[in-house]
Amino acid sequence: MNQNNPRLGWLFTSPYLIYSLVFFLGPLIWSFYLAFTNWDLIAPTYEFVGFDNFLKALKSPGVQSAFWVTYKFMIVFVPLVIVMSMAVAVLVHGLPKFRSVFLIGFFLPYLSSGVVSSLIVKGFLSYNSPLNETLRRLGVDINWLGSPWAALLVVGAIMAWKFTGYYALILTSGLAGIDKEVYEAAAIDGVSNRQRFWKITLPLMYPAIYTTLILAFGVTFGIFTEVYQLTGGGPNYATNTWQMEIFSQAFKNLQAGYASAIALLASLATFISIFIIRKLLEVWGKRNGWV
Amino acid sequence: MKKRYPVLLALSLAITLLSACSTGQGAKSAAGDDGKGASGKVTIEFWAAPNPTQQAFWQEMAKAYEAENGNVKINVSAIKESPSSEASIQAAIAGGSAPTISENINRGFAAQLANSKALVPLETLPGYDEVLSSRHMKDTIEPWKFADGHQYVLPIYSNAMLFGWRSDILQELGYAEPPKTYSEVLELTGKLKAKYPDKYLWAKADLADPTAWKRWFDFFMLYNAASGGNKFVEGSSFIGDEKAGVATLQFLDDLRQAKGLLAQNVTDPFETGVSVFTDLGPWTFTNWAEKFPEMKYGENFTLSMPPVPDGLDPGASKTFADTKGLVIYASASKEQQEAAMNFIKWVYSSPENDAKWFEQTKLPPARDDLSTNESFKAILDASPELKPYAENVPNAVPPMDNPKFNELQTFIGQEALNKVVRGEIDPQTGWSNLKKAIEGELQ
Repeated sequence: MNQNNPRLGWLFTSPYLIYSLVFFLGPLIWSFYLAFTNWDLIAPTYEFVGFDNFLKALKSPGVQSAFWVTYKFMIVFVPLVIVMSMAVAVLVHGLPKFRSVFLIGFFLPYLSSGVVSSLIVKGFLSYNSPLNETLRRLGVDINWLGSPWAALLVVGAIMAWKFTGYYALILTSGLAGIDKEVYEAAAIDGVSNRQRFWKITLPLMYPAIYTTLILAFGVTFGIFTEVYQLTGGGPNYATNTWQMEIFSQAFKNLQAGYASAIALLASLATFISIFIIRKLLEVWGKRNGWV
Repeated sequence: MKKRYPVLLALSLAITLLSACSTGQGAKSAAGDDGKGASGKVTIEFWAAPNPTQQAFWQEMAKAYEAENGNVKINVSAIKESPSSEASIQAAIAGGSAPTISENINRGFAAQLANSKALVPLETLPGYDEVLSSRHMKDTIEPWKFADGHQYVLPIYSNAMLFGWRSDILQELGYAEPPKTYSEVLELTGKLKAKYPDKYLWAKADLADPTAWKRWFDFFMLYNAASGGNKFVEGSSFIGDEKAGVATLQFLDDLRQAKGLLAQNVTDPFETGVSVFTDLGPWTFTNWAEKFPEMKYGENFTLSMPPVPDGLDPGASKTFADTKGLVIYASASKEQQEAAMNFIKWVYSSPENDAKWFEQTKLPPARDDLSTNESFKAILDASPELKPYAENVPNAVPPMDNPKFNELQTFIGQEALNKVVRGEIDPQTGWSNLKKAIEGELQ
């Protein structure tokens, strides 16, 4: 086989390229067009409204809340999921046997239905659940899904539970890539466990941590199912994410044009945020001499 | 030729991939533009509510109709809920694969669809008047007329939403029957909290949730009772009754201050006795039969129309009508639309079919003679808890028919009710804020 034959490359990538053109690029261009109309996708006629949809979106409390709520979720979700997945990765990596069994166990929540896990959590946190009954006896009364920060924490925690196993897989592969001789040399030099983690493990795992962090930050821009099931974006917009706002406008208010404008603004916010985060992570790595 | 192999292979793969994405829907195109298949049969796609009992009813009806009418084929399937039935219908219309006819459509969503010219005005189809007369629904259909004078939905059922009371706990507090006015309810709340500090009058997380449809089961039940059934919005005008609206919000505020409201997620609060009052639809009883068989009408719970402000006649109380119906889609061919209307006419030509519906779904058929027609007597006698629903069908006000109902009802929660329940705003300010927001949206 001629390895330099470009046609073969096109051949093998063509199904995915065509799929992407039809289901990603096409809808993206279509969404861009829709954002300048007042169409609901159903009416036989519609008008071009210029930048009206974008101006309306920028003034909307729903869109403004979606913008800020995403960053609030980042504050809750990213540190939590990184710490949890790192802990799982280190623990599992240290096991003498059955590593893959435990990794699969931790990965299962990622495969679970967001609807089902949300409903279970809803029952668990209901006013008359055993947990809350016990807490009230101890003098602690928390309205988990009804107070802004508690609701944010609950959704962030469910997301962290769901993604921990997935990110632990990436981090475990990072750990596996570290040569044992490095640790052996450090042991001879009398390096403590803490120093071992901060001075050897963390720097050598930087590529895996970088990937995990970018993925985790990206997740916060796409939260929908848990919020839809648990809080509906409330209380008082406290958990209203971009996806929730787009869904509400497109499918509850039947304003596809306006929802498209919000989706484009969400894309813009995502691209800019991820770009800045990526640059900051690169600076962090370079400053410490990890890259 | 050799060079073309990769291209051909890529094309085949792409076609295979794309054909796998086909939903197999789109009855009109599959059956021909006039909706007729190769056999000359008119094919109707019927989307039933995503509820097994309703789906089973329509499948049974379709089979019986097909047996009598060989030239019609009716495909009954459940509306997909991905993530909601409304979203599925909207996506189907936009994608050109809308059904011919569907049920489970409320008046607000119908107004949205009608505004986009997606529905057929039913009175323009032959046979519509015969349905109204044979089904005895002249009075029931009256408030369903849309602001543009057309009739887009044929209501199938109408639940006059009632409030349930834990009669066993009420008896412990010295009440033989539920209170009927606001001050009586507040007095009961005081007695309840004095005897059971951990119990609440009304435990319902939705009171703090701005989701539009949730207002049907709190605000509109109370507001309709306080206003005598005021329409709230007519056409593009806000015509809300300020006195009734403020009284409704004040009632909730008074209950909050008396620690009678618990706006938190609670598992089965009424059934477990955490609360003594709740909004109840007749669909609850099917669920109770399986999950809470100990809930017995007349023994530990009873039903009432919503309480009214002091000074009003409780006997004239109105409530919200949780009612949904059938619509026929404009995208269907004329033959399909007429065939769909003929099917409806056939189903409702006999009260026995409505009786079958009532028995299977427990949802009261939307007809004027529900409490008087002999066909339903056996069902009502066997299930006495359904009687108050049947009797109050004429006292129930259907939802507003404004295409912006979702935004408008969200404002009721966001600007007034949710904040009043949380104690963040006084009732008068809440009413003024919701009025301002709704009038702004309607402009």
